[in-house]
Amino acid sequence: MKILIAISSKEYSGPTLDVGMNIARVLNASTTIVDVGQKISEFSMKDVSLANELMDTWDIDRPGVDVLEWAYNYLSENKFIEEQSIKDGFPKNLLIESGSGRAEVLLKGTALENLSLILRNGDIIKELRDEVDTKKYDLTIIGGSGKRSMAHDMIQYIDSSIFIVNNFNKKVDYKILLAVDDSPGTARAVKYGVRVAQAFNIKVDLITISKDGHLGKEYKKASKKAAKMMRRSGVEAKQNFEIGDPVDTIIETAGDNHIIIMGASTQSPITKFFMGSKPLNVMEGSNCPILIVK
Amino acid sequence: MFGFSARSISNVLFWVTRKKWLILSFLLSISFFYVPSPEGLTPEGHRTLIIVSVALILIISESIPLPAVAILILIMEVILGVDTADGVASSFMSDAVFFIMGSLMLAVALVNQGLDKRLALFVINVTGNKTWRIVLGFVTISAFLSSFIGEHTVAAMLLPVALALIRNAGLSTNKATRLSTLLLFSIAYGCAIGSIGTPSGGGRNVIMIGYLSEFGMGTISYLDWMKFAYPMLIIEIPIVAAVLWYTFTPEQKIMDSSVRKLKVKVAKTGKLTANQIMAIIIFLFVFFGWIFLSPFIGLGIVALSGVFLYLSFGLIEWQDINRNTNWGVILLFGSAISLGIQMKETGAALWIAEQTLFYLDLIFQDVGIVRWFVSVIVTGLLTNLLSNAATVAVLGPIILDMGGEPIIMAIMTSIASAFAYLTVVASPTCMIIHSTGLITSGDYFKAGWKLFIISVLLLLIISTFYWPMLL
Repeated sequence: MKILIAISSKEYSGPTLDVGMNIARVLNASTTIVDVGQKISEFSMKDVSLANELMDTWDIDRPGVDVLEWAYNYLSENKFIEEQSIKDGFPKNLLIESGSGRAEVLLKGTALENLSLILRNGDIIKELRDEVDTKKYDLTIIGGSGKRSMAHDMIQYIDSSIFIVNNFNKKVDYKILLAVDDSPGTARAVKYGVRVAQAFNIKVDLITISKDGHLGKEYKKASKKAAKMMRRSGVEAKQNFEIGDPVDTIIETAGDNHIIIMGASTQSPITKFFMGSKPLNVMEGSNCPILIVK
Repeated sequence: MFGFSARSISNVLFWVTRKKWLILSFLLSISFFYVPSPEGLTPEGHRTLIIVSVALILIISESIPLPAVAILILIMEVILGVDTADGVASSFMSDAVFFIMGSLMLAVALVNQGLDKRLALFVINVTGNKTWRIVLGFVTISAFLSSFIGEHTVAAMLLPVALALIRNAGLSTNKATRLSTLLLFSIAYGCAIGSIGTPSGGGRNVIMIGYLSEFGMGTISYLDWMKFAYPMLIIEIPIVAAVLWYTFTPEQKIMDSSVRKLKVKVAKTGKLTANQIMAIIIFLFVFFGWIFLSPFIGLGIVALSGVFLYLSFGLIEWQDINRNTNWGVILLFGSAISLGIQMKETGAALWIAEQTLFYLDLIFQDVGIVRWFVSVIVTGLLTNLLSNAATVAVLGPIILDMGGEPIIMAIMTSIASAFAYLTVVASPTCMIIHSTGLITSGDYFKAGWKLFIISVLLLLIISTFYWPMLL
């Protein structure tokens, strides 16, 4: 299991890092935390790196290092890394360039086997896509950005499950809203549902929605199976059956105190591009964290 | 679908969404190709203009790497029959490209000498600890240095000095404050106004001089250029400092402890080393070469001689030059100049010049005002969208074909292309200060629009009252 957590700043990425690391701990996943810095125009790329090299000789951190340092401090406060390495502080000089515009620090984890921090520069979707394609992450965790189009592009182009930590608030008692139907994606979504419920010690609402007013046998069976799996893993789950438009119903039921989990669409990418898909529409309409399982 | 996996379709879709400008420019060029040539424009000129529009779209959108744009320009010139392969190759390399290449390499060599700490000490010793004096000092030193060497060199060397001052003032170097904005802009705008001072201040000045001699329109020596441009530079220094000060007045009016800490830090570096002295001597050699030898051997060859000396005295490793020189930019400027020459030779530049004169004359009713409008306002605005050297490479031949005194038009265009105050992409210095994360795109506008207007007016006054005395 490999998890990628994308952060951008101390001000906005706290919840993302917190949620991400809690999930990583439960899954015992090898985890990478990435900060994608701003795109540098090609005209000036070398000039900027020349300036950055000089900044190193003045002991001034290049942009982005402060974000990694903040993440490092979070990891040490929450005992994700070995005490030995905590005492030494953030190992800036171990930030090794690995390929164009990508720098990495490997950390010794306690709770997790592998933990690393990386810095990339450029267009965020392209950088995350490259990272996921080359390192084969199973799950990408990212904050809900003000820009809807970005979350949209993430779901469309990034080849892993995606958790968008949208408006996450520690004070809210979240429940999980898990969309269940007879599609093959449901089984994987249920597995993630169990893990996330364990990570935060919260309850699960299973929701099965029929569009045409009739609940088929297969739907009921799927919901029952999911509930059984939850029970076995010691997660409290409640089955709900609703009639109506799936997207609207999920958005309405979720409100702002649920974490939505649903399977990714199995439609062809072209259909998704032009017509959208259920997960995309739910993501666009809802106001809470959402995990889309691929 | 059609036997392709969902993944490969998704890859194609991703490519299409990221490369929409490339696809658009491709479609545009095909449709322009089949539009009949307008009256007065040769078929070759028509096809050259297709290349110009494709190049502009691709450079502004950055949807493909810049070196790829450069190569595409060369390929299209040959395939569209604008010139033969050998003709394109010979227009690709010129002394202006030598100069751009040489000055980028010199920048790497100079930055590697550790002279930035000396520079810091010098600035601080002169300015003292009052913030407004430090700002004036930064603008002045940036302007003077960047009038002789590339502005990116100066900005790269001064950036750590500014950041060190900010950090020593007890502020974070990761969080924007009025002080950080003020200091960083005094470097960027100082470099911008400085780059007009001499031909070697910026690649675009050399491109313009190259066009003048290539088109047989006249020559201008290093010192003559300075006579035209330096007064404007000197007048602008206090203006820039004042505008920045009143736009971003900081809380810290005095930076006493900050300056002291910086002095302590710099003092540790000790005396000038033999290598640093050597580096300065070579640079002075290059400088005097530009003044006295460039009329005979060209600015580019002088710059390359400097690089030769740095390399052969072992003051810089070739690996360092190779790693930190932006070869893509060199390719792009080579191509852009080649395109500029083709615009002139195919008559495309003349055609656009005539059209512009005709239509703008309907508005302004005076050919002099039209010339001024295109060479100053259009250049100044385009430079903020494109990079400044690319702007001059493309607009230069058109402006020179609009009539008027060629040398005046050339210098006016070069100077206007330094009004790169408004956007991040306008010049490498703007990008360098933006890369710290302390400057947002919105900040450029706050002081930029004032400086843009002041610079335009100043140029108008100087070109009307002072320049005629020089001719």
